[in-house]
Amino acid sequence: MILYIFTIIFFILSSPFFIGVIKSLKMFLLYKKPVSLFQGYYNFQKLLCKENIISSESSIITKVGPFLVLSPLIVVLFFLPPIFSKSFYVGFVDAFTIIGLISLSTFFLMLIGLDSGNSFGGIGSSREAFISSLVEPAMVLTVFSIGLMAKDIGVANASVNLAHNFPKEHMASFLFSAISFFILLLAENGRLPVDNPETHLELTMVHEAMILDLSGFYLLLIELAGSIKYIIFASLFVSLFLPFGLELSPFLAFMVFVLKILFVSVVIALVEINGAKLRLFKVPNLLGLSIIFSFLSLISFYVLG
Amino acid sequence: MMINFSIGIFLATLIVSILSTRLLKLIFWYGVNSFFLGLLAIFIGFKQGDSVLIFSGVITLIFKAFTIPYYLKKFAIKFNLKRDVESDVKVHFNVMLIPVLIVFSFYLVSPFAHTVGQNSNYVAISISSLFLSLLLLIEHISVAPKIVGFLLMENSLFLLGITATGGMPMLIELGVFFDLMMAIVVINLLLKEERAI
Repeated sequence: MILYIFTIIFFILSSPFFIGVIKSLKMFLLYKKPVSLFQGYYNFQKLLCKENIISSESSIITKVGPFLVLSPLIVVLFFLPPIFSKSFYVGFVDAFTIIGLISLSTFFLMLIGLDSGNSFGGIGSSREAFISSLVEPAMVLTVFSIGLMAKDIGVANASVNLAHNFPKEHMASFLFSAISFFILLLAENGRLPVDNPETHLELTMVHEAMILDLSGFYLLLIELAGSIKYIIFASLFVSLFLPFGLELSPFLAFMVFVLKILFVSVVIALVEINGAKLRLFKVPNLLGLSIIFSFLSLISFYVLG
Repeated sequence: MMINFSIGIFLATLIVSILSTRLLKLIFWYGVNSFFLGLLAIFIGFKQGDSVLIFSGVITLIFKAFTIPYYLKKFAIKFNLKRDVESDVKVHFNVMLIPVLIVFSFYLVSPFAHTVGQNSNYVAISISSLFLSLLLLIEHISVAPKIVGFLLMENSLFLLGITATGGMPMLIELGVFFDLMMAIVVINLLLKEERAI
């Protein structure tokens, strides 16, 4: 039980660090002077000191919205797969619940966008709805096929099963669902091929457009929610698709887990510096690729294995 | 396990190359595709203890994975080809077409599955990749992607050869490689012609 609580606190506290790793690695690779790895924490401290300004146009949604964006993601943290072998975990929660909770958080984010005083919020919300509606079918198919391979539909149980007996005979199916899930990871977290997290250009914004009006503590909550969403997806990716190191002693298992998350962050940074942002109407092509791969993974589970 | 993995990557790169819209990326994916085809031939060769298959795998690695993509890229830059190759078939239709083709090919194989033994799934995958490369061939108008589609089709035929029969005779494979090299030379002339038009 102690390990379980430690895991959750670790996820919450370390999530800005991994976002900082991606950002500073990208700057280093672009020959800029990299920001500190702990820049996320400094930003949070700065935002805490600032006052909250709320537009006179906005309603109560802007005040309660940021809490409602963050809270479903905090709930999801309790259902994630374990990172230690003897740790307690919630096994019965299936991936559809997790997807539903994440969609709930996205829903409140879109409401904040619609509620804001400027017109960009509406644009951002409509784009976010467009992307997340395309993500959903691929996500369900991917999770279903990984559940078939692990012989359990619950996420935590599936990851433990995969760690103990890896499905060697379903290697092709496993690979396809890994590719599909990685594309979904990029799309859901607003990383580069789908949305540029650094820009404030009105033509390209998706995520930033919705939170333009927020400031101070509310902005902190939204930024924290973004980084927690990243750590949720990265943790799901490493425990479902890189399932090793669970049986080691707690300290070693923890180190292996951190290394795996760092590896995912490095891969994301490499993808980001090597590609340009897609036009919004080209995004369905990328997500269509993801749908094809998740479908293929399901087919090849039945016919190859 | 490694055979399954290589076949998976083979099919994955084929699908990515169907959906890609840039010529140089298409050539790169062709290189990756043939690289894993070569690895696959080497793995199967080691599994069956067949030195001929290992040899042809090595030749595949050298020629198809490195030499041909290098020359194609060189030609594309030399003749100033149009790099932006949009397909005629929309992606939305491809999303439905590709799984349908793959499922269909599994049904296609089932009547003669007993003749190829336990490899029938691999045969089905290679037939479906044959269809997929045909799709790549027909969905583009310009010459350069059609060439890549033709080469990918040859890759799928090679896969069919090594999975269905356990390796074609050495002489035929060498002949095919020689044909490919000749084809590249002919393509050079063709592209020169296209530039003139």
